[in-house]
Amino acid sequence: MADRTYDDVTQVPVDDTEDIDRTEVRSYWQLARRRFVRHRLAVIGAITLAVLIVAAAVVPLVVENATGVSISKSFAPAEIVDDEGNLVLALLGYSRTGINMFTQLMAATATSLMIGFAAVLIIVFIGVVIGAVAGYAGGWVDNVLMRVVDIALSMPGLFIIIAFVAFWGASIWTIILAIGITGWTTAARLVRAEFLSLREADYVQAARALGASPRRIILRHMLPPALAPIIVAASLGVADSVVLEAALSFLGFGIGAEQASLGTLLNVAFEYLNREPYLVLFPSIVLILIVLAANFLGDGMRDALDPRQRVEQQ
Amino acid sequence: MTTVSRSVGPLLEIQGLKTHFFTQDGTVRAVDGVSFQIGHAKTLGVVGESGCGKSITSLSVMRLIERPGKIVEGSIKLNGEDLLEKSDEEMRDIRGDQVSMIFQEPMTSLNPVFTCGEQISEAVQQHTAASRREGMDRAVEMLSLVGIPDAKRRAREYPHQLSGGMRQRVMIAMALSTDPDLLIADEPTTALDVTIQAQILELMRDLREKNRMAIMLITHDLGVVAEMADEVVVMYAGKVVERGDVRTIFGNPHHPYTQGLLHSIPRLDERVDRLEVIKGTVPSPYNLPAGCLFKRRCPFRMPICDVAPPMRQIGEEHTSRCWLTPAGEPPEVGADPTPEEAEAAGEQLTVEPR
Repeated sequence: MADRTYDDVTQVPVDDTEDIDRTEVRSYWQLARRRFVRHRLAVIGAITLAVLIVAAAVVPLVVENATGVSISKSFAPAEIVDDEGNLVLALLGYSRTGINMFTQLMAATATSLMIGFAAVLIIVFIGVVIGAVAGYAGGWVDNVLMRVVDIALSMPGLFIIIAFVAFWGASIWTIILAIGITGWTTAARLVRAEFLSLREADYVQAARALGASPRRIILRHMLPPALAPIIVAASLGVADSVVLEAALSFLGFGIGAEQASLGTLLNVAFEYLNREPYLVLFPSIVLILIVLAANFLGDGMRDALDPRQRVEQQ
Repeated sequence: MTTVSRSVGPLLEIQGLKTHFFTQDGTVRAVDGVSFQIGHAKTLGVVGESGCGKSITSLSVMRLIERPGKIVEGSIKLNGEDLLEKSDEEMRDIRGDQVSMIFQEPMTSLNPVFTCGEQISEAVQQHTAASRREGMDRAVEMLSLVGIPDAKRRAREYPHQLSGGMRQRVMIAMALSTDPDLLIADEPTTALDVTIQAQILELMRDLREKNRMAIMLITHDLGVVAEMADEVVVMYAGKVVERGDVRTIFGNPHHPYTQGLLHSIPRLDERVDRLEVIKGTVPSPYNLPAGCLFKRRCPFRMPICDVAPPMRQIGEEHTSRCWLTPAGEPPEVGADPTPEEAEAAGEQLTVEPR
C-alpha cells in the first residue's frame, strides 16, 4: 500500500509539483470567520448584541443600589458620578421615585436577554429532536409528529403561555419554559424539511453504503449540514422570544417589578404615556436593537457556516 | 481487515433475487429473479438500459433498499454467507468493510461539511480500531494511492475544492480504505468527461490487481464493459437476459436485446448516417408483456415468445433467455419445449452451477 509511484498508470503527475495550488488550506472555522466578517450588517449585529449583553451583565453589578438616591433629584440631568463621588452611571437621570433609569434599563435588558436565550435553547432542543426524528424516520413517525406540530401550531401561543403562567406563577423560569414549549414548532418543521432532503442526499446514501449507523448518519452527516437553518431559526427565535416576553410583561402577565424586564418597563411607562411619553422610548429602542441585531447575526451566520459558499477574493 | 476466510466457491452468489417496490399504483418488479455470481478478484459488468434493475440489484446486495421497496425472495451469498439473513448491525459491519460501493455522482456523494481526509478516516475508524490520527494517516495514504497529487494537503480540503474526477478518486479511496473483497461501482464514470473516465477505469483496474478485489461494475456503457469486465450480465426489465464471458457477449451475442445494444454503438471505422437503435422503449413496469419481456421490441418475434423463455445454455459459460436456437435460428416447431413444457420451466431459473 505504501507504494506511491502511481503516475505512470494514472497519468497524474505525482512528483511534478509545479502546478500544485500552493495557497494555504484553511480550516472550516477560519473560512466561516472570514465569510462572517465580510457580512457587515452581521458584524454590526454581533457587536450590538455583545455590547448589550456586557452592559446588561455589568452595569447592575457595578452600580450598587441605584434606588437609594433622594427624590429631589428626580429627572435630574444625566450624571455619571454623584455628589459623593460614587459611580452611578445615571445616564438617563432618575425617576420621580429616585430610580436610576439607566441601571434599571440595563437590569431589564439582562432579564429580557436571559429569557430570550434560555427559551431558544429549549426551542432548539425540542425542535431539533422532533424534527430530526420525523425527517429521518419518515413514514408514520413523521406523520404523527407533524400532526403534533399542527396541533401545537393551531393553539394560540400567547394564551397558552398566559394560562401556564397563571397556573405556575410568573417567575422567570416559568416564562422561559412556557415560551420554550410553545415555540418549538417552526424549528421542528425546519429541521424536518432539511432532514427529509438530506436523507436522499447522495452522500448520506454513500455513508450508509460504508456501514454508518443511523445515529452516526444523523449526528455526523445530517446535523452539521442542517446546522445553518437551525442557527438562523435560533437567532430569529431569540428575537421572537424577547418580543413575546415583552408583550407578556406589557400585558401584566409577566414578571413583576422585582425582576423587571423590558416589557415590565414598557408597562410602567405606558401608564405615564400622557405626561412623560419619552419614558417608553428607551426600553423600545433596546428591544428594537435586540431584534435587529439577532436577525442580522443569524443572517451572517447562515452565510458563514455554509462551506459551499466561497470567500470571494477581493 | 477481511475477517471471513475465503471459501472455495464464488465470492458473491446471487440466486433468484427478487426486489419489488410496492407503490400505490401497483407492484413494480424492479428485480425479478436475478441470479449471477462473481468470482474472487473478477470483474462482472452489469449492463442494461435505465430502469432495467441494475442499480436496484446492487443496492439489494448492500441491503440498502428502502420503502416501498423490499427484497421478497432469493439469496445473496457473500463468501458463502447469506446477507439477507444478517441483522442490521451485522450488515452495517459488512458494508464498507467487505463490500464497498462507489456511486455515479461524485459531485454530491461526498459530505460537503467535512474534509476529504475526515471522511475517509471516518470510514476507516468505523471498521477498524484505528484512532483518528491513524485514520487520517490512512486517508493520506489512500489519497496518494488513487493518484491524488499532494495528498496531505488534499486531505485537508473540502469536496467543493476538488474537481469531479478528483472527487471520484476520493470516493474510490474511501471505498477501498478498508480493503473490501467486493467493490460495487454504480456507473462510476458516467458523470466524468472522457479523459478522466479513462484515468478512473485505469485506476480501478490497477487497484483490482493490487488488492485482489472483485468488482461489480454497473454501467450502460458497453465500451467500459469491454475494457474492464471478465464476465457480463445483460439485464432487461428486471431480469438477466444474457450472461457470458466478455468475449462471447461481444463476439457472439445471442439475445436480440444484447445484439441491439451492441449495434447501437457508434463505430469509428464505419460511416453510417443513422445509428441503429432498438425500437420502442422499455416496457412500463406496471404493464409488462406476458411471455418474453422483450417481444414488443424484438425483430425476431415468434409465436412462442408469448411464453416466457427460460434461461438456457447457449455455449460454454454462456446463457441466454431467448427461444432462438444457440445458432440464432428460430426453433423448429415442436423441436424445442412446447409452450406447455416451457410454461412449467418458465420461471424456474435454469442457471447451472459452474
